[in-house]
Amino acid sequence: MNSPSDKSSGPTGIVLNIQRYCSHDGPGIRTNVFLKGCSLRCKWCANPESIHFKPELAYAPNLCTGKQACGLCLKPPFPEGAFYVVEGADDKVRVNWDLATDVDEALVALCPTDALDMYGKRMTVGEVLDEVEKDASIYRNSGGGMTLSGGECQLQPDFAAALLAGAHERGINTAIETAFNVPWSFCEKVLPHVDTVLHDHKLSIPERHKKWAGVSNERILANFKKAYETFPDTDFIARTPLIPGVNADEEHIRAVLAFIRPYKNVIDYELLPYHRFGLGKYESLGVVYELDDYKTPSDELVAHLQAIIDEAFGRSG
Amino acid sequence: MNTETGGASSVRRVAIMAGAGFVPGMNAVVMGAALAAGELGWEMVGIRDGFEGVLHPERYPDGGLVTLSPQLAESLDPGGRGILGQSGRVDPFHVRTIDEDDMVQEVDMSDELLTRLKAERIDAVISVVGSRGLSIIYKLHRKGLNIVGIPRSIENDVAATAVSFGFNSALSFTIEMLDRAREAAQSARKIAVVEVLGAQAGWIALQAGIAAGADAVLIPEIPCDLQTVAERLKEKMTPSRDYGLVVVAEGVQFLDSPQARADKPVAASLKASLSPLATGEAGEHVILRSGQAAQTVASRLQLLIAEETQPLVLGLWVRGGAPTAVDRQLGLAYGAGAVRGLNASKNGVMVAFVPPDIQFVPLAEAINKVRTVPADSLFVKIAQSLGICLGGKL
Repeated sequence: MNSPSDKSSGPTGIVLNIQRYCSHDGPGIRTNVFLKGCSLRCKWCANPESIHFKPELAYAPNLCTGKQACGLCLKPPFPEGAFYVVEGADDKVRVNWDLATDVDEALVALCPTDALDMYGKRMTVGEVLDEVEKDASIYRNSGGGMTLSGGECQLQPDFAAALLAGAHERGINTAIETAFNVPWSFCEKVLPHVDTVLHDHKLSIPERHKKWAGVSNERILANFKKAYETFPDTDFIARTPLIPGVNADEEHIRAVLAFIRPYKNVIDYELLPYHRFGLGKYESLGVVYELDDYKTPSDELVAHLQAIIDEAFGRSG
Repeated sequence: MNTETGGASSVRRVAIMAGAGFVPGMNAVVMGAALAAGELGWEMVGIRDGFEGVLHPERYPDGGLVTLSPQLAESLDPGGRGILGQSGRVDPFHVRTIDEDDMVQEVDMSDELLTRLKAERIDAVISVVGSRGLSIIYKLHRKGLNIVGIPRSIENDVAATAVSFGFNSALSFTIEMLDRAREAAQSARKIAVVEVLGAQAGWIALQAGIAAGADAVLIPEIPCDLQTVAERLKEKMTPSRDYGLVVVAEGVQFLDSPQARADKPVAASLKASLSPLATGEAGEHVILRSGQAAQTVASRLQLLIAEETQPLVLGLWVRGGAPTAVDRQLGLAYGAGAVRGLNASKNGVMVAFVPPDIQFVPLAEAINKVRTVPADSLFVKIAQSLGICLGGKL
């Protein structure tokens, strides 16, 4: 086992969270490292706190003790108007998100109940890998490793590449979760250090991709092809977050299958039934969840679409 | 940054723009402002689609600004759709952009906005905005923009004014629809449970419920006990009166839910604290929870009474249509009032209707306040006198 890295050297990046014991993001039991920043705006996003690059304010109203008991954030050095209470019995602080954009880590640290917090902090490669390496024996026993997720982990290409290369140096298997909406030059830095690439095929039609994810998918599709062809020894697993009314239909699934099946290194296609685990996070960011009216896909629908995939991969019968 | 309160005005050219979200009768505000500006010999221009017309003029073949001469203003249909158009979100501090690498990001274009306004020789801006828009124009004012706000709110939740522009039209349409729901319930022998707008403030539910003769009105300010509502419905329903009408504000709170406990915020914290991260295209970042309040109340009430309940949702219907006479007058008054304020060198203020006067409130005092229904409200007392169940203790 390697000794802990020099934590003061090498590239740094903005890390949202390091989550241990994950079992759905690559082979075996893994540690997911969530990097902050995304270049898409998917309306179903389960990790809204990962969208923006900069660390940002989060607020947990349930931890606030209110104006009478505390009220610290209603006075300087907190920005004028950033926090307020409304008239009435409820004296919990509310956030004016438009005026709280300058609230930083130093101010958040003043909150005695941790109702105010920050999403994201800058870390070195060594700091992240030392944390990841704590479960090295679990990776060995389960065939797991480290998965870089996000946000879009390839948006911090130097940091991501250093993390992945460093993991390999420590004998840790690597995977990334990516949507590939990045310049190809970023992929060239990251992909050589990845064992498994989990990548999203969100929508097939460019106009619909733009509507629901913020941009057209033309560059994304080009990156997919280039990645499949440039890295033939890397395992690719295609995935689709299934959202009824958006992409949970046979036509999309068949379009993705037609796209990926010519490439033998695309070893599987997984469906991710849309969930709303992100809802609480939206509230703590003061962000309105755009897909609140949508339902999760039924078991029958998922089974039907899965059967199509199984047939295409020769797993039926 | 100063909130000037007197002195000779140096204003010669004024722009007017509308914030996100449509309300009926925007043209009335534009007319009021343009005609009043014309009387002073000022030039008035309208910014298309929020600030889009200034930030992205290349998107408009006829230009991002529309000249609002008194002649044009007079020809506007005050009941028609707004000449200014609208944008889904109006926040120059977080403008969603797609860069040359096809990557989405939100960019602060506030400096560019101020520069472009200056290049267009615009001395002041009149901004017709809701609660969140007030905070955004306050930020612009702090950066040096000469600006006057006009409150526009379907919910009437802007605290510093008695009546926001748009509220009366929404109220009027809601009453009309409640009348229909009541008749439909009568013919179907059901209890209509109608959800109306009001995530934080129950003004529409309460005032419309009173006018339509509702049996119960449930508003965010009074956490309700559905058992109490059920008992009241049982009292009112007889073989000869076998229908009912329950009006539910979308922000209804239940006494037995965690949100209604004393240690939890009563008002919807989400709507109360919209983030600049709440980005999106037209209308996409409203809370898409329409129907949940009606569905919840209807299904829970049905378990407590013998009659069948029928959930109905008004939702976005109230944002369209023609303005009422009150909103036409109010719109004209707000528009003209904003120009009067600028002429009196008011800056960084919101025009407020404080009957019988039009006054000016500093934006710093107008933000971060929610105009909710107080327990001693006249409308609460009227509802009680009429035997309308409010579902909880006051």
